[in-house]
Amino acid sequence: MATHDTTHERDAGEAQQAGRAARGGGWLRQAITVLISGALVVRGVRKRSLRGIVMAVLGGAILVRTMGITPGTGERERPVGRAATGGTEVTRSITIGRPADELYEAWRDPGTMSEIMGHFAEIQSAGDDRLHWTVHGPRGWEASWETRIVDDQPGELIRWRSPTDAMVPNEGVVRFDEAPGDRGTKVTLSISFDPPGGNIGEAAARRLDLVPETIAGEALSRFKSLVESGEIPSLDENPSGRGSGDMV
Amino acid sequence: MKALTWHGKQDVRVEDVPRPSLVNPNDAIIEVTATAICGSDLHLYHDRIPSMQKGDILGHETMGEVVEIGNEVESLEVGDRVVVPFTISCGSCWFCEEELYSLCDNSNPNAEIARSMLGHSPAGLYGYSHMMGGYAGGQAEYLRVPYADVGPITIDSDVPDEQALFLSDVFPTGYMAAENADIEENDTVAVWGCGAVGQFCIQSAWLLGADRVIAIDRFPERLSLARDHGDAEVINYEETEVYDRLMEMTGGRGPDRCIDAVGTDAHGTGVTAASDRMKQRLRLEDDRPYVLREAIKCCRKGGTLSVPGAYVGHVDTLPFGALMNKGLTVKTGQTHVQRYLDPLLQQIEEGEIDPSFVLTHERPLENGPEMYETFNNKEDDCIKVILRP
Repeated sequence: MATHDTTHERDAGEAQQAGRAARGGGWLRQAITVLISGALVVRGVRKRSLRGIVMAVLGGAILVRTMGITPGTGERERPVGRAATGGTEVTRSITIGRPADELYEAWRDPGTMSEIMGHFAEIQSAGDDRLHWTVHGPRGWEASWETRIVDDQPGELIRWRSPTDAMVPNEGVVRFDEAPGDRGTKVTLSISFDPPGGNIGEAAARRLDLVPETIAGEALSRFKSLVESGEIPSLDENPSGRGSGDMV
Repeated sequence: MKALTWHGKQDVRVEDVPRPSLVNPNDAIIEVTATAICGSDLHLYHDRIPSMQKGDILGHETMGEVVEIGNEVESLEVGDRVVVPFTISCGSCWFCEEELYSLCDNSNPNAEIARSMLGHSPAGLYGYSHMMGGYAGGQAEYLRVPYADVGPITIDSDVPDEQALFLSDVFPTGYMAAENADIEENDTVAVWGCGAVGQFCIQSAWLLGADRVIAIDRFPERLSLARDHGDAEVINYEETEVYDRLMEMTGGRGPDRCIDAVGTDAHGTGVTAASDRMKQRLRLEDDRPYVLREAIKCCRKGGTLSVPGAYVGHVDTLPFGALMNKGLTVKTGQTHVQRYLDPLLQQIEEGEIDPSFVLTHERPLENGPEMYETFNNKEDDCIKVILRP
């Protein structure tokens, strides 16, 4: 089954938050407003009176504005000054009903990588444990880099890394552990677009709209679908009143 | 091709859209011969389900003729007549192997959206929001069917469309709801909602050995169908207080098994129902759990509450204390349609049940927008609509 766990690199996250608070207190102010408006909603609803309803509605309105939620769509706008990456490293895991050796072999195949990372990057084999990645971002932004496998333990672990002077320095590691209860293999993927030592990566990642959590989650789901069912579920050429294709 | 598309609250249109094509090796394309409007399509019609996009093709109750197959498809051939389950299932993940098809791990291309809202992603569905897969629906001339070896059932016999079509959703949904109710000998089963699913709950409750079936609704034509065709005793909740009436009918014990075949858009009466409407409008709750509350209150101690009705998100003031202290069991879920196709088709072919008893309207696809309105307003005694492309 799809058991996902998410852990951000805690130290880095705290350092970032502290940095944000120091940069004019925008983050702190937002947090305080959220707390107060949230309390208004809760107290207002509990009162069950006309005054309570007014209080709840007012609190809700402030909450909505502070959180940057666009009414009607439920989408959140990204608060100013906050990185799109939301952290420097993300780890997710998924359970796949296949043995570790088979999954290791599949992951090692550049063809598989090209399919499972296809939602955000074009991947080509660059020979000798090397892959060439190209990412197209919004407004014509594009970045490419090469990764090399730096640690390879058959059936257990693969680690890859870009050169530190790449446009988006990045690193990834996938682990294969036997899942309990004869349910296959627990596959854990960690990816980072800003390895320790630089913030260039984060800026570039923001420009390219790279969100490690989404990339990791989708890559694992796509990998699981591919190896379990032989294909990745797709909305290519999906018809609608908007045309042909996903979300057009 | 022509298709019915969603454009917002109570806005369904007939549009010219691109024809679907084979994308994955296990896909099939079917030319739709009959498609139905489901009660749960009305949740979309009321704009209750998040992540719909203007222009999305509606419809998840579909049958037709196979016109193209992908190169990995083994069990279907061009020309086969098939009914398509509304749940899209890969057939190879742990859930599919456990026959929990509506919980398939692999069929939702937008699994990350569903995961962020529900914790985990259920199976992809046709025409039922982007969170639930984003797949185009079957209220159209053609439909792309992924994992074609796992879903569609071939109808070789001369069973007519209006009998076979309801295998796609409402018949198995009513059946699974009755199965989930754990009906035992001498049990009284109460069914809230006498739409198509409720009617099949009533039929299935008898098949599974109920001693007595009580049906609850407010529309006279639906109550008549439940009484005359379903042999159920009926309660019109606009005329009678349901709890009092059920206690009277069961000597104070309450129905042993309660089925909520209404879901998120429950009407209800009185202050609680009005308050649910207000909270929903203020976005303080997603669903109106009127039936859920009533069923928990009415159910016999130690009984079972089965919920085939569709819910969306958060509900307010659910009497969890009653649920816990009365030791109720709750069973729910989208239907594992594939599990029921063979046995229920057999029942239809052997003449044990004719599912077309719920059908009240049959119209060309082009009349779809009017039929959504008719069905929504329960005009013209409308219970179930089939559209013909």
